[in-house]
Amino acid sequence: MSAATQPKRRHSIGAPRWLGYAFVLPLMLWLAATILVPLAQSVLLSFQNVRIIGTPGEFVGFANYTRLFESERFWEAFGRSLIWVLGNAVLQTILAFATALILKQRFPGQKVARIWIILSWIVPTVVVVVIWRWLLSASGGIVNYALVALGITAEPIGFFSSGDSAFASVIAINSWRWFPFQAVILLAALQRIPAELYEAASVDGASTTQKFLNITLPGLQSVLFVMGLIGTLMSFNVFDVIWLLTAGGPSAATTTLPVLIYDTGFRQFRLSQAAAISVVTGVFLLVFALVFMRFAAPPSDDGEEERI
Amino acid sequence: MSLVMRRTLLGVAIALLMFLVIAPFYWIFTSSIKLPPEIIASTPTLFPRSFTTQHYDNLLGGSPFLSYMGNSLLVALGTMIITVILSTLAAYGLYRLRFPGRRLLFRVILITYAFPGVLLLIPLYGLLSDIKLIDTLWALIVVDITLAAPFATWMLQAFFRTIPMELEEAAALDGATRLGVIVRILLPLAAPGVASIAIFAFITSWTEYMFASVLIISDANRTLPVGLAGIIGQYQIDWGLLMAGATMTTLPVLLLFALVGRSFVEGLTAGAVK
Repeated sequence: MSAATQPKRRHSIGAPRWLGYAFVLPLMLWLAATILVPLAQSVLLSFQNVRIIGTPGEFVGFANYTRLFESERFWEAFGRSLIWVLGNAVLQTILAFATALILKQRFPGQKVARIWIILSWIVPTVVVVVIWRWLLSASGGIVNYALVALGITAEPIGFFSSGDSAFASVIAINSWRWFPFQAVILLAALQRIPAELYEAASVDGASTTQKFLNITLPGLQSVLFVMGLIGTLMSFNVFDVIWLLTAGGPSAATTTLPVLIYDTGFRQFRLSQAAAISVVTGVFLLVFALVFMRFAAPPSDDGEEERI
Repeated sequence: MSLVMRRTLLGVAIALLMFLVIAPFYWIFTSSIKLPPEIIASTPTLFPRSFTTQHYDNLLGGSPFLSYMGNSLLVALGTMIITVILSTLAAYGLYRLRFPGRRLLFRVILITYAFPGVLLLIPLYGLLSDIKLIDTLWALIVVDITLAAPFATWMLQAFFRTIPMELEEAAALDGATRLGVIVRILLPLAAPGVASIAIFAFITSWTEYMFASVLIISDANRTLPVGLAGIIGQYQIDWGLLMAGATMTTLPVLLLFALVGRSFVEGLTAGAVK
């Protein structure tokens, strides 16, 4: 390169502003076409009376929304969704913390264990469902065999036959699928906390609880924030595990909002009604996300701007 | 607590954890090679006493399982290729270039990732049927990219950040074009990151059930999760067949993971703790 091309060089290093947009544009267009446009259509649909996809509908104003807010099914599903999110959060947090703390120790095979722990997360949900239906089957399932053989119950339990036990089973199975994923992320965050902090605290005579509260928790704050936000939204939206295990039953005992939306739209063929539930759900989640970001966001300690 | 006690406790904890994660998989695999009477025997056998490949024969010969698998493979590969392109481009723009609104775009991308799938199911069906993609594998590729790309972009952040800007500048000084810099310098250095988003996209697509159950109508275009769910739905459950199906569905993901599991987990965690 000769000296004559010097301006060109500088140009290539400090890229023009539009170049950044150009690189991001394809993805943004894609997401706009597959998320933004459908969302807008969802809102339109919710003000009509379309029953089956592709059939024309009339404008009915807020009729779907009034019906929704008066429907017991909706409020029950809403309540169940809250229990679902809470139950999953508690169970997964406990299991994930325990797992991360275990995997943080040194032991033979630790490296392999840290990778393969997320096995249950990478297999298809359908496989998870097949596994647990077989394990928990009332006739021939090994869990029931073990429970009876150990004398814990007198006869096999129908895990999916009563409402409460079906809901509890579905929460447990979903947690089984997700806790290793959260454990892996927690573990990575734990490893970033400098060991010197713990050593110094030990010298000062801090107890294990004090160390946990004053070193571990603050050190995990930003990861816990991301997991709290995205984990909650994702958990709220879980559909396939529930649908494939119980289809929302018995007698709607496991019908959370996503299941209700699917059932209303694709089983009862009341598409506009389903869209209205979707819109209400979406608005609720958006409000949750905004409130969560406003009040739970960790202070940006190092001014790193990509922190969410 | 004495050291011995600590060690023992840790050993027990590790064993319990491994049992919780691995045992269910062991159980479906061993069930899939047992003869039917042994599968439903009232006293389960921890180690198979009988051995048969009949469930696999039935699965491969007597059901459209192979066709489901072929469809799943096509959709997963299509999703993988396009996601890698879209996400790598976006990640380069977001993490290597400076422009106003970068932070906002970054947040928007992540928020879309958290959007409920069921919410999109209804309008996407309409949209895809308008452009005549319903009941084609392309419909699933389109949707799966949307599910995978935002998180994939996020995962690349950590990999792109570790590459010194000076390398890029040096290459530019040597007269390389920006695309040349990306392809010849950045991508090879970020290869573990690109590999991990590729697997992420593949797995996302391979495991997707909800959209596949609605957007695909004919049996010939069905993917594995929906096909397998069809076997569960039958009146009399053939457990042997189902276990064989579950094992075969898990296998490709296991193979991929065995190859690049390490960088996948690194990618997964690097984005989160950065």
